[in-house]
Amino acid sequence: MKRSKTMEFGVGLFMIAGILGLVFLGLRVSGLTLSAPAQSFQLEANFANIGGLKPRARVTMAGVTVGRVEAIELDTEWYDARVVLSLDSELEGQLSRDSIASILTAGLLGEQYIGLSVGGDPEMLEDGDTIRDTQSALVLEELIQQFVSNMASN
Amino acid sequence: MTDAPFIEIEDLYFSRGEHEIFRGVNMTIPRGKVTAIMGPSGTGKTTLLKLIGGQLTPERGRIVIDGQDVHQLSRKALFALRKRMGMLFQSGALFSDLDVFENVAFPLRVHTDLPNAMVRDLVLLKLQAVGLRGARLLTPAELSGGMARRVALARAVALDPELILYDEPFVGQDPISMGVLVQLIKRLNQALQLTSVVVSHDIKETLSIADYLYLIADGQVVAHGTPQTLDTNQDPRVSQFIHGEPDGPVPFHYPAEAFYRDILGEPPMTKTG
Amino acid sequence: MQSKFSNGTARITRLGRRGCDLLEALGRAGIFLFQSAIGVPSREGWRLWLQQMHFVGVLSLAIVLVSGLFIGMVLALQGYTILVDFGAEQALGQMVALSLLRELAPVVAALLFAGRAGSALTAEIGLMKATEQLTSMEMIGVDPLRRVVAPRLWAGFVSLPLLTVGFSVVGIWGGYLVGVEWLGVFEGSYWSNMQANVAFINDVGNGMIKSAVFALVVTWIAVFQGYDLVPTSEGISRATTRTVVYSSLAVLGLDFMLTAVMFGGL
Repeated sequence: MKRSKTMEFGVGLFMIAGILGLVFLGLRVSGLTLSAPAQSFQLEANFANIGGLKPRARVTMAGVTVGRVEAIELDTEWYDARVVLSLDSELEGQLSRDSIASILTAGLLGEQYIGLSVGGDPEMLEDGDTIRDTQSALVLEELIQQFVSNMASN
Repeated sequence: MTDAPFIEIEDLYFSRGEHEIFRGVNMTIPRGKVTAIMGPSGTGKTTLLKLIGGQLTPERGRIVIDGQDVHQLSRKALFALRKRMGMLFQSGALFSDLDVFENVAFPLRVHTDLPNAMVRDLVLLKLQAVGLRGARLLTPAELSGGMARRVALARAVALDPELILYDEPFVGQDPISMGVLVQLIKRLNQALQLTSVVVSHDIKETLSIADYLYLIADGQVVAHGTPQTLDTNQDPRVSQFIHGEPDGPVPFHYPAEAFYRDILGEPPMTKTG
Repeated sequence: MQSKFSNGTARITRLGRRGCDLLEALGRAGIFLFQSAIGVPSREGWRLWLQQMHFVGVLSLAIVLVSGLFIGMVLALQGYTILVDFGAEQALGQMVALSLLRELAPVVAALLFAGRAGSALTAEIGLMKATEQLTSMEMIGVDPLRRVVAPRLWAGFVSLPLLTVGFSVVGIWGGYLVGVEWLGVFEGSYWSNMQANVAFINDVGNGMIKSAVFALVVTWIAVFQGYDLVPTSEGISRATTRTVVYSSLAVLGLDFMLTAVMFGGL
């Protein structure tokens, strides 16, 4: 019977190790956070062009990740892109009303993300508000076109 | 009620693929006696036991055990009937992942809710009966062939069945363990009032314990009777088998073309394709 | 002419017979799976399952983990030499993690599992059949499907996904060893790039679904081959080979189909 006890212990360890491995894959590899989604608030921002921005992209402030892109949809009123951002609740009421959201690119070929920078307005953004001041993504083709036409006009 | 037969086999037909194994077998096996079924190798004696145990289904005919038609039973009823049977397999068929004690305890553990202490007593009793109480901690791999068969016998009688089926119990045994097995089968039958069916082709040993004999060949019962009547039977097929003559109605040669033609290399009769 | 014609029909007949045999075997395997998998486990059933978890799962752990480590290390090495040409070596973590989670861990773990545990299951059940243990169990009034097959089936089904998790974790760690410790990729970018680009549901979750499907198929093939084989020593060795061959083919074929369904839309 002693042999079966050690065997049971081994199987138990095996299963615990498997579950811990799954937790590792969740936290360390997929970057899931244990904080509940309730601890965030949402802002909206309209962009003329989002380039290659994808849902779940990072939202950063001074390079620090402070949230994620929750959803991207087409605003049929203005025909531009409405991006819903989900931000850490610590920032709720801390961002001034004239904060700027711009779409940036990590490196030349890297993924696109949103960078926030704060303005000087004394009024603050609350849950559900819209960021007015936005900068669209740099689209490489447009850039090249501009460059070429500048060259031609010179 | 000892005169009512325990097993009745009526007009049994069974075949494997193209090969007909039984063509109308009839038998009655009396209660509380040792009945032997004999015949040359390959006549389907083991198949007959599997038919009795309900593991195979015949094409025609029926097998009635104690009033129940084996092949008409539901799965549940069949398993209930099997609890009343024990079967001793040619190889012993001990469970290789359990030791001797657990092997004998296996039927008790699955079919009864007896407390551990009582299971232990019963198992030791059965092992004592086959003389292997001291071997209870060995694994089946450590047993000799004869010992394995004795343990298997203890397991077969663990639930005190009414019927025991022995599949070639004497094959490949040295004379001593053969004698032990003969003794055991005889003693168990008397002590427990069992009905025993022994399938074998070992004539001497079988004749010494059987109350009644059936001889099968070519898919049919060719003779039956007590050991004395069969010994004096004039049928050449019976006397060839009983007296172990190498040639007779059962030919020595496997069917082949004529010897001369084969040896002298004349073109053999080719199959037309 | 006549004989050529009859040769042709004979060939077609043979083909038809093989087709019928195949369908029949598939049907038997299906009924077999159904009969073994249903039924409420008893307390005894749990004990048997635990025992099989040991043989099928714990004893396969070493080979799976060692393979995972090496595959992660090789991925990092190969990936680095390609990514460095594009100046994108910071994406190494992402590459290692995604290849492991989506493809390599489920597939390679399943193949190793088929070789290590599947063949052993076939041989074990086959040996029990050849030595009449299954028949004698039936005669004692115990259903071998429940007693022998079901615990092994469930143990395999649970073990392989756990082994796959282990494979991924060790592989990602191996990639870290080679990429960060040896080749000098910045540690922060190894992990953050991974975290930014691996989605738990889409990547880890789909990998787990694949692994569960493979687990079922490989264990099913293994126990069925063992239960259905010709009970001779030759039959056992053939069935063992068949288990490994069929499971490998099934895993690779199913992997393509599952990948097409899961990631093909992108």
